Amino acid sequence: MRFEDVSYRYKGESSMAVAGFSMELKQGSVVALLGPNGSGKSTVLGMGAGWLRASSGSVQQDGSVAFLPQTERLAFAFTCVEYVSFGRAPHLPYLALPSRDDEERSLGALAAVGMENRARRRITALSGGELQLVRIARALVQEASYVLLDEPSDMLDPAHVATIGTTIRRLADSGVGVLLSTHDLGFAIDTADEAVLMREGTILATGRVAEALECAALGELYGTPFRMASIPTPARQN
Amino acid sequence: MIRLPRVIGALLLGATLGASGAALQYVFANPLVDAGFLGVSQGASFGAALALVLGGGASALFGSAFGFALLALAMSVTMASRIRFGGAVLRLILSGMAVSAFFSALVALLKYGADPLSTLPEITYWLMGGLSGTSWKTLMVTSPLALLSVATLISLRWRTALLSLDEATASSLGARPRLERSIVLAAAAAGVAAVTAMAGVVAWVGLIVPHLARIALGGEGSPAVPGAAVLGAGFVVLCDAVSRGLFPGELPLGVTTSLIGTAAFFALLASRRVNVERG
Repeated sequence: MRFEDVSYRYKGESSMAVAGFSMELKQGSVVALLGPNGSGKSTVLGMGAGWLRASSGSVQQDGSVAFLPQTERLAFAFTCVEYVSFGRAPHLPYLALPSRDDEERSLGALAAVGMENRARRRITALSGGELQLVRIARALVQEASYVLLDEPSDMLDPAHVATIGTTIRRLADSGVGVLLSTHDLGFAIDTADEAVLMREGTILATGRVAEALECAALGELYGTPFRMASIPTPARQN
Repeated sequence: MIRLPRVIGALLLGATLGASGAALQYVFANPLVDAGFLGVSQGASFGAALALVLGGGASALFGSAFGFALLALAMSVTMASRIRFGGAVLRLILSGMAVSAFFSALVALLKYGADPLSTLPEITYWLMGGLSGTSWKTLMVTSPLALLSVATLISLRWRTALLSLDEATASSLGARPRLERSIVLAAAAAGVAAVTAMAGVVAWVGLIVPHLARIALGGEGSPAVPGAAVLGAGFVVLCDAVSRGLFPGELPLGVTTSLIGTAAFFALLASRRVNVERG
């Protein structure tokens, strides 16, 4: 998937949400978009998904795209497997219902995120973390060449973040290109190969996560000082 | 005496209102709407009242009610496309409310000017809904439209359920929300317009029956629309029997469905069986 000099301006806004954005997402790699709120991360993902049309420039992709918006309004109490099966829609003829095979794949996707025992539960009865995992299962079952995730680890506890990270790594290892936005630097370091730092709709820096996410660059990106920290190991008692 | 056309009319009416209610709830991503929210019922009411005032026959009444129901839908959809704020669903609900209120005002105007001894009672009675006038002739006109509507809504059930997801999500799954929503709206409105032209305003069936179907079937998703069609048919036949049998005269069907429907609505909301939204 290639973004070439892409810009986007929301209707009624005077300034560009994204301006002159170029990057390439290779299959099998994970790229994290980082930047302050309003820096254009979600707009980039929306354009990649085809949900927003670039005002100028072009987005090209050589395969199908699955997209997980940051939030989703769920008005009906579908069971998890019913909900995940909606991910099969691109593979089904217009009037077809999901087949047994589609349901098997949906159950497989739920198992891949550790939610197989929730398959018959209603999505409205899940915790925030469980719901996010089920949404990711819906993106998995789409079997797309590229998966775009808007803040997939937002507001989740560390165990769920770890599960999501593992799932994303496995997805990339199977040859899928993953583009995600996040404010969670630890999650980005653990999960992504490359980072794209964005501010005010433009790219500030890009590079391998280990190099791009250093204190000076992050300080400039977010406008607040950063320092390296690690959790102190408690002194061992003899 | 139970007449066969009347029973068939009740089955058709209930199936159409139930299926369209379930489908429209998905399209609007809101479990608390039915065809009345599009102005369809009030449009049909005005059409019927106008025909009664102008003194046409039964077929003029049917044609006028059906035509104005579709006109009301077209007005709602056109107005929604002109509103400058809100998402597609909010805009449709707002314009549907306005169109309903507009046609209610026109109905009131017709009633105000109608002959209080002949036309006014006719209008009032028609607006309360009922199947006493159903004959083989009315069924010949109504049933093709109603059956086509129900069949379309049932065959589109899974795609329609998909439309209840976010617009961004639905489009990322290959749906074309605007086009697909219009198809479901047109199918539902044509059916509801036809059965309303036949039986008058029979409220609450389209709102309450889909929820009963979801509870009875233990699930959401593809079974909800056909389930609501079957349950709706049964519900209206039952309500019509109650209307005829409970009192020496005949209670208007719309009154019976509203009495039972509102009671069921409160019972449902109080029992927390209706999953409206997270949180």
